[in-house]
Amino acid sequence: MQSTYNSHVKRIVVGLIVIVALGLAGKKLLAPKSFGVYGHYRADAIEEAAAIEIRHGTNASCLSCHPFEAQIHLSGKHSTISCEFCHGPYADHAKNGKKIGTLPVKTGEEIKILCLRCHNRAIQARPGEVIKTVIMPAHLEEQKVKTTHICNQCHHVHAPLRYINHAKRIVGMQEAS
Amino acid sequence: MNSVHEGASYLISNYVFPNDLHVHWSMMIVLYPYLSGLVDGAFIVAALYYVFGVKSLKPIARFSLIFALSFLLCVGMPVMLHLGRPERNLNMLITPSPSSAMAGGGYLFMVTLAVLLLLILFLYRTFLVKQQRQSKGLKRLFYQVLTFGSDNLSDEALALDEKVIKFLAALGIPVATIFHGYVGFLFGGVKANPSWSTPLMPVIFLFSACVSGISGIILAYIVIKRFRKEAVDTACVRTLINTLFGFFILAFSFEMLEVFSHHYLRSGYHHMVEGLLNGPLFISFWIWQVGICSLGPLLILGWLCLLRVKDSAFVIGSAIVSFILLLQVLFMRWNVIIGGQLMSKSARGYTEFHPEWFDKEGIIAVVFVMAVPFIILFILSRIFPLWMEGKSEAQGAGGK
Amino acid sequence: MEQPESTLSEDRRQFIKKVLKGTIAGSLLLVLPAGAGNLKVPEQIKGIRNRPWELAKQNFAFIVDITRCIGCGSCCVADKREFNVPDGHYRTWVERYLKDFDDAVYVDSPKGGLDGYQEPRTDIKKEIRDTFFVPKLCNMCHEPSCVQVCPVGATYRSPDGFVLVDSDRCVGCAYCIQACPYSVRFLHPVTHTAEKCTWCYHRVRKGLLPACVEVCPTGARKFGDLNDPESEVTQILKGPGVLTVLKKEMGNWPALYYKGLRREVV
Repeated sequence: MQSTYNSHVKRIVVGLIVIVALGLAGKKLLAPKSFGVYGHYRADAIEEAAAIEIRHGTNASCLSCHPFEAQIHLSGKHSTISCEFCHGPYADHAKNGKKIGTLPVKTGEEIKILCLRCHNRAIQARPGEVIKTVIMPAHLEEQKVKTTHICNQCHHVHAPLRYINHAKRIVGMQEAS
Repeated sequence: MNSVHEGASYLISNYVFPNDLHVHWSMMIVLYPYLSGLVDGAFIVAALYYVFGVKSLKPIARFSLIFALSFLLCVGMPVMLHLGRPERNLNMLITPSPSSAMAGGGYLFMVTLAVLLLLILFLYRTFLVKQQRQSKGLKRLFYQVLTFGSDNLSDEALALDEKVIKFLAALGIPVATIFHGYVGFLFGGVKANPSWSTPLMPVIFLFSACVSGISGIILAYIVIKRFRKEAVDTACVRTLINTLFGFFILAFSFEMLEVFSHHYLRSGYHHMVEGLLNGPLFISFWIWQVGICSLGPLLILGWLCLLRVKDSAFVIGSAIVSFILLLQVLFMRWNVIIGGQLMSKSARGYTEFHPEWFDKEGIIAVVFVMAVPFIILFILSRIFPLWMEGKSEAQGAGGK
Repeated sequence: MEQPESTLSEDRRQFIKKVLKGTIAGSLLLVLPAGAGNLKVPEQIKGIRNRPWELAKQNFAFIVDITRCIGCGSCCVADKREFNVPDGHYRTWVERYLKDFDDAVYVDSPKGGLDGYQEPRTDIKKEIRDTFFVPKLCNMCHEPSCVQVCPVGATYRSPDGFVLVDSDRCVGCAYCIQACPYSVRFLHPVTHTAEKCTWCYHRVRKGLLPACVEVCPTGARKFGDLNDPESEVTQILKGPGVLTVLKKEMGNWPALYYKGLRREVV
């Protein structure tokens, strides 16, 4: 091979230039198409982020098929509570207007735990003007019921004062104390 | 989780943000700056000879470069093992974000690798050309690639090589410094972490890198020479130990300066750092990093450098101190990187780190990553003789 | 109970028919493509569906009202379900603060508040002066550190003000997790890419409130359009109430406001 005193240096310089050029070309070719439209990111990612599945509907979407529950739920103090919080997300229940799964209905001790998530006064951090809280089992003792009572034996879960107000109407609210 | 750490009495609740319980940067990210620090330090040793003409370092000058190359080739390994999506690593090169401290890493690595590789090929050119002339077939082709197809060893060519070596070695200093300074800045630039976000961080990383690199060279040199039953060049080791002493004083001073500032400034976040060092990191920071691995070496280095020590004792002392300092730097990386993440950004508590054995970032993987550079070093030593004894040392800029 | 049940099913069929014919709820009830299926949901953020989404012209605000949070954890549950968030990772969480008369602060957030707060803290022997809950989520910073540090441009601040993650580009280096001063990010254990709260960008784009806002029973979480002068958030921002942001000294300029936030909160 013919080599002069500086041929290896020349080859290195040429090689480096070729590598850099190939690198730059590769960088250009491999970068995603929408990269850099708005900034240093893939612009298409925005629409992809907007397109992911919605799993929670709203109370309106639940109540549109459950008018009986709707009528009770919307009438009481619990009207701001989300159906899906207690029962699970819409996406697990209905798809394309068809039922695809049954959502759980809480029973027994589960109900008590659920109620006390909000109404337990032992958790002092709850602002009194926002939520009515009780101490258990003192509340049951005060109301002169068994301490084994579950909340929904007196309080309708969808409209907590429904039975109580009803009872008060029947009794005529005459108790003077 | 409700335990109270001593020294941070106001952190009563020890509350850790739920996402902070997990330490995201674990042992692989400790190894990454450790490996790149070894590269950096070893390169500095070579630069002392090739750029600054410290003649006594001649016996280990080439070895340092090969040592640096073997570790540099492995710097990417811990990073790859750490990445959640290692197959996407090229994204770092394709769309590097100009605003990110991390994005330049890939490019810096490539530049460092190119400089180091070219420097080595130029240094060994005479040797490689001779090998090429003696060999046949594939082996010949291999050497032809390494010599860029040129077997010209005229005086003119050698003079040019010498110039190129000087240039590359000089260029290597800023490149290596930036490469490792960048690693330090990765941490120094995280404002959300009070123990990292200090401009001192790149400086501390640089000096401790030099300490680990020089220690690595000393220890490897002595061990290899002993193993081969060859004489250790004490003049060379003495120069290295003196340099090491200087760098270590600087590194340790800056490390302590940072701790002292945190202690003295006493803002809310500094309390957090103080509590960290006195609490979860007490053993690994105060006992190991500062006590055993810093004050110990300072005493030994003082003894070696300031008193008249017999050659045989000097070599043993050097090996011991180098080993301890290699540990010191590892502890320092651990305490900065894993330690820093033990502080929750809640500024109210510390999480815990428990290394796993078989994780891809676990202990076995760490041992593997640390073993590979030595395997590469062994392979490279078959191609590039580590020691150019006697007559064949015709080349080499500093050695003329 | 037998009687109403049978009439109900009849009612229901009628109701669905009316809905599908469009006689009930009129234009508000739109059928939207939601992922694979369709979803009948009335619009919650006024006017989103009637106009094309102009990226540069959006302005949304998220306000957390500390004085109304009861720590029920509904938001955490909804969030986990909306995004199938893996256990042990949190896009949003609720913290409980207690403060004694010596100003010592005790914070906890068991499972991020996912199971609510069933038990009072029994480990504190001192008398408590003040106690409250603080929901946490992405601060949607105007100058997000996560975006700054992302080496590959996988996390970005969209022109409409949402800080999002491109999970197709993310390399999983976790630098954004280190950089976020609010620790709202995590590495998804399955995809191994970074994830965080998006203020339910996919819902907002379809005129729905973020899932956590939708389920909040007390209105402690508020989300709305600042371009709409009638929206609740606009009214709050125009009003005299004191609004603060978290870790102001970080210089990230969060778009998440807190109402009634105490100084102890970080």
